[in-house]
Amino acid sequence: MNRESLRESLSAVMDNEADELELRRVLAASGEPELQATWSRYQIARAAMRGEYFAPGLNIAAGVSAALADEPAPSRSRAGAPVWRGVGRVAIAASVTLAVLAGVRFYNQDALDGAQMAQQSATPVAPSIAPQVQGPAVLAGYNPGADATLAIPADREASLSVGDQRLLDYVRQHARQAGSGPESILPHARAASLENR
Amino acid sequence: MRFIPCLLISALLSPLALGAESQNWLLRLQEAEQRQEFQGVFVYERNGSFSTHEIHRQVREGQVREHIRQLDGAFQESLRNNGSLECITGPRQERLTSGRADGLRRLEPRSLAQWYDIRMVGLSRVAGRETVMLSLRPRDQHRYGFELHLDRETALPLKSLLLNENGQPLERFQYVVFDPAAQPRLEPRPSCTPPTSLSARPLEENTWRSEWLPDGFTLTRIVEQRTTAGDSPVAWLVYGDGLARFSVFLEPWHEGLGIDQRSQLGPTAAVSRKLATDQGDLLVTVIGEIPLGTAERVALSIRSGSGVVLQ
Repeated sequence: MNRESLRESLSAVMDNEADELELRRVLAASGEPELQATWSRYQIARAAMRGEYFAPGLNIAAGVSAALADEPAPSRSRAGAPVWRGVGRVAIAASVTLAVLAGVRFYNQDALDGAQMAQQSATPVAPSIAPQVQGPAVLAGYNPGADATLAIPADREASLSVGDQRLLDYVRQHARQAGSGPESILPHARAASLENR
Repeated sequence: MRFIPCLLISALLSPLALGAESQNWLLRLQEAEQRQEFQGVFVYERNGSFSTHEIHRQVREGQVREHIRQLDGAFQESLRNNGSLECITGPRQERLTSGRADGLRRLEPRSLAQWYDIRMVGLSRVAGRETVMLSLRPRDQHRYGFELHLDRETALPLKSLLLNENGQPLERFQYVVFDPAAQPRLEPRPSCTPPTSLSARPLEENTWRSEWLPDGFTLTRIVEQRTTAGDSPVAWLVYGDGLARFSVFLEPWHEGLGIDQRSQLGPTAAVSRKLATDQGDLLVTVIGEIPLGTAERVALSIRSGSGVVLQ
């Protein structure tokens, strides 16, 4: 089995985009410690992206394997019923996510209180903007609380500045030169903000 | 049974009409970016950073020149001509890849509508001016959403938010003062110097490819340059969907480079990982305003064309 394509499949599973073949591939290899380590890393990256916190070295792979094991095996007769294919995929992804969340709750009980958890699960998945705005525009899912303005915890960035100047150089180059969208000023402001640290 | 098609048609028509209006606003915006002079003051905010800037934009004989200087913290300024950097004052000597910048990209509302659900969602007020709110919601999880507040008079964006999958802002750009009637003044300091240029050569489009790309993203630029340290060659690929964009950097891997790194700077995801190929180990770095998971997946999918060597 090609290592890169296995990782790619794993990534696809995380993005809820895996087809049956990819899922089977990942399931078949789920006993391998290397794959489990990669999975943990992806989950940590994803959790960090969402502002959730993980204990370092936390092994979620076991919980995920359990969740995957409980899923009904993908059957071959689905070609005739494409609607159900999609449902199955979502269901698999959902139970995997649940396993991960349960892992976080279990290992991080002191760091993460129940209220925050509830808030996360209550957040709508798709961004929706109120069709009729009265007064100042307020975003759905936007919490006017003290630190809710920006979605990512600031300490992620601190780790970068110490970590790797090279990566930062590339970020700078991307911001300054990769061309622009409708607002030509935006990439520009992004580049400037890199120097304000 | 005739009323069913009628119902269908009327149900289809109303969002279509709305869609047409929002697309018109995007076309006006594009036009305005190339014609409208103004001066203003805006704020830019992302996690860990909040800054204020003054901008003057001048249009003379089709040349769009823009001077931006930062009003708080360390002094920074830049002068751009049709999107490429003319001179800069800042904390470091900038080194830029030679060759034409992409400049002001043409925006195609019709193709954008394939990847974003574009709607006019209401009226608002920014910098003391009337604005219309456009929402651009991504149709898949591989790009972020935008909320644009366009000036009713000029169609320029007076406020722009980049939103993650939960609708939370990742960055905010917003004018506090905007005056399209004022005479713009381009007055860079004498210290404003042109950036050093890094030599680069164009590459064939199929030199590198990604086995997987999020829908709608196409290659807009591919060059080979030297690293900022000047030692090894780096291939640089830029992909865009008309609104969002990301860069892929490829270089030979050597001891001391990381093997697996990811980070998030406000709206910008950065993923760096070692990749084994027939031509030896490479370091692939993906940077862009796309979700981290998407950047990760692109990084995993990069392949070299046949017989390609970084030299």
